[in-house]
Amino acid sequence: MATPPLRCAMLALNSPGYRSLALGYLRAYAQADRRLAGRVAFETLDLDTDVDPWWVAWRVLGLEPDVLAISVTCWNARSVYEVCRIVAAVRPECAIVLGGPEVGPAAEEVLAAHPEVGVVVRGEGELTFADLLAELAGGGKAWRVDGITLRRSGSIVATPDRALVANLDDLPSPYLTGVLIPVDGGAYLETFRGCPHRCAYCFEGKGYGRIRSFSDERIAAEIEFVATAPGVRTFSFIDPVFNLTGERLRMLASLMSPYVANGMRLHTIEVDIERIDDEAAELLRSAGVASVETGPQTIGADALEACHRPFRADRFAAGIDALRRAGISCECDLIVGLPGDDVYDFLAGLRFVLRLDPGKIQSSTLHVLPGTELWERAAELGLEFDREPSHEVIATPGVGFRDLRRAEVFASSLQSAYRARV
Amino acid sequence: MIRFADIPVGSGGETRCSRCHGESGEVSYRPAAEIAAEIAMVCELWDELPGPNVALTGADPFGHPDLPALVGAAVEAGCRRLCLATDAVALRSPQNAGGSLMAGVRHLRWTILGGTPGVHDVLVGTPGALDLSVEGVRSFLSIASEETIPVSVTAVVPVCRHNVHDLPAAAGLAVDAGADRVLLRLDDGGLDLPAALPWIVAACDTGVVNGVWVEVEGVPFCLLPGYDLHLADAVRQRPGAKPPVCSECALDAVCGGAPAGASADQLATLAPPVSAERLSVSVLRARGMGER
Repeated sequence: MATPPLRCAMLALNSPGYRSLALGYLRAYAQADRRLAGRVAFETLDLDTDVDPWWVAWRVLGLEPDVLAISVTCWNARSVYEVCRIVAAVRPECAIVLGGPEVGPAAEEVLAAHPEVGVVVRGEGELTFADLLAELAGGGKAWRVDGITLRRSGSIVATPDRALVANLDDLPSPYLTGVLIPVDGGAYLETFRGCPHRCAYCFEGKGYGRIRSFSDERIAAEIEFVATAPGVRTFSFIDPVFNLTGERLRMLASLMSPYVANGMRLHTIEVDIERIDDEAAELLRSAGVASVETGPQTIGADALEACHRPFRADRFAAGIDALRRAGISCECDLIVGLPGDDVYDFLAGLRFVLRLDPGKIQSSTLHVLPGTELWERAAELGLEFDREPSHEVIATPGVGFRDLRRAEVFASSLQSAYRARV
Repeated sequence: MIRFADIPVGSGGETRCSRCHGESGEVSYRPAAEIAAEIAMVCELWDELPGPNVALTGADPFGHPDLPALVGAAVEAGCRRLCLATDAVALRSPQNAGGSLMAGVRHLRWTILGGTPGVHDVLVGTPGALDLSVEGVRSFLSIASEETIPVSVTAVVPVCRHNVHDLPAAAGLAVDAGADRVLLRLDDGGLDLPAALPWIVAACDTGVVNGVWVEVEGVPFCLLPGYDLHLADAVRQRPGAKPPVCSECALDAVCGGAPAGASADQLATLAPPVSAERLSVSVLRARGMGER
């Protein structure tokens, strides 16, 4: 009698309207793995963060999973842990596997704090997760899988780190394989992994250390698939810097322009604003870019230095002006609570971006994220923050608890007033 | 931080404390053509971003027979943010609220004298005035929400000896009505400032814990240690003006000042500026007036 396949439920709790690209990659890779063919049955639950964890657990348990794999970010972690507790109580035989930026860099802490979690996948997950499923499906030994932290004989054990995927094209496309169905406004493409910047508060580069790109052919195929999907009029790119190089920007503009001519638009791509001149702005327009998101995060000299962020006010302003001339709206982001800043530095940042009239101003409070330099240096820098997700800063040497809260409210009020316009 | 050019559409009838200022004078309105020309000139000469931004002030704009034309003229002139300073009673009418929004009004300066009818209605001299006023704001916000039009409402509270004890309630009412900002504007030179400060502090805290910013005009930094953010000119749009009775201090360039009528006795009893050195450097830097 044939062994029934391992039932693997894959769960993501996303911002409303979005689908998890991470789960798409994991599933596309695992489904293509011959070792798992016929031995693992996949089911993806892409739910919104506002769904009550008890109802999320209801949906999960309805699948009677043998393995529950969850993508965890700082935004959904509290709900995820609640789901894990409920699922483990009802179905203790289910192996719970977590991955993602919230848990990977803090794997031992996560396992110590959450006994219901069995395995944490560290770093890039596609190969690791497939190997882990192969072991679980075969009744083998998970500890032989590189890139995970797990419980073994009552201890928490980390297996060796896994090397990064050398050729990103080896990862099947979630879209081209049909794992992810593009939805209007909620589809994201990834053209490279890594980030050229080393901002101390950010985990966007995910510690990858270098930039690896998908091939132009792969990018072209994904763009064509998503841009011609029924009902899709807008989508975006998840790349941390859309204008990584001039050459790359020209390539993307060229690939996008036929669809832009038919009305396709890109929303909220992230750019390095200081490298945008009229030519780059025109390329962005050709690529269908309707709005971009950028810093400066802060203009305080001490905070810029502490966070390793370059900032030239004149070039920043020139970038905004170039975008305005090209009819592209810009969202300027600021962070309150960065080390080295006081509350007046934050206000100066607000004043600076306000005077540029970028289109949208968005401020947020610092989150000291696992895996970031600030996470490692928090004590040294005097950052008090919530160890529980979402790891919001509580107080800094430059801004006390009350002024942080005041700055949040002030910024919110200013954003409302700025947004309210003809 | 967002500057507006105030253009009076008339005079008289403003919402002010009747005990401090007596009966409001007879209402009169300026000719629409004159106002429209002023709006056009302001928009043409506007020299900083974001803007141009215009507030129609003075007598309640909803009493002006040509308000729709004035709003249209402002939009035509390129005004990005158009604000009406009003008691909001006229906005109870969906026609007025909807019409304003559709025409381009995005900001309200909503004047209240207190957070309870026992204060506002009494000081205005009209029973039921506060309820009508709140109803107007809610109507405006409700239609804006339905139409997904971003708007901003600032509750302006002229502060005097007759309403100072009601400031926390006023902040609470503003929160409840849907305002996103409260401006406490000292309007009484004879106000006993030290006695007023706990009420001002409570109003600031009421706003913050409810997610609504409270700004204070007319109180120098030295009077409210720990609350300088609510007073800082780096936050406010109106330049500060310290009264002559103040001695020199490190914050002269940015201080929000005190009421014009504040006496030397009142100020002399107060502590010197708190953390003046740190604050002055920070504030000056925020305003681009100093080096680190």
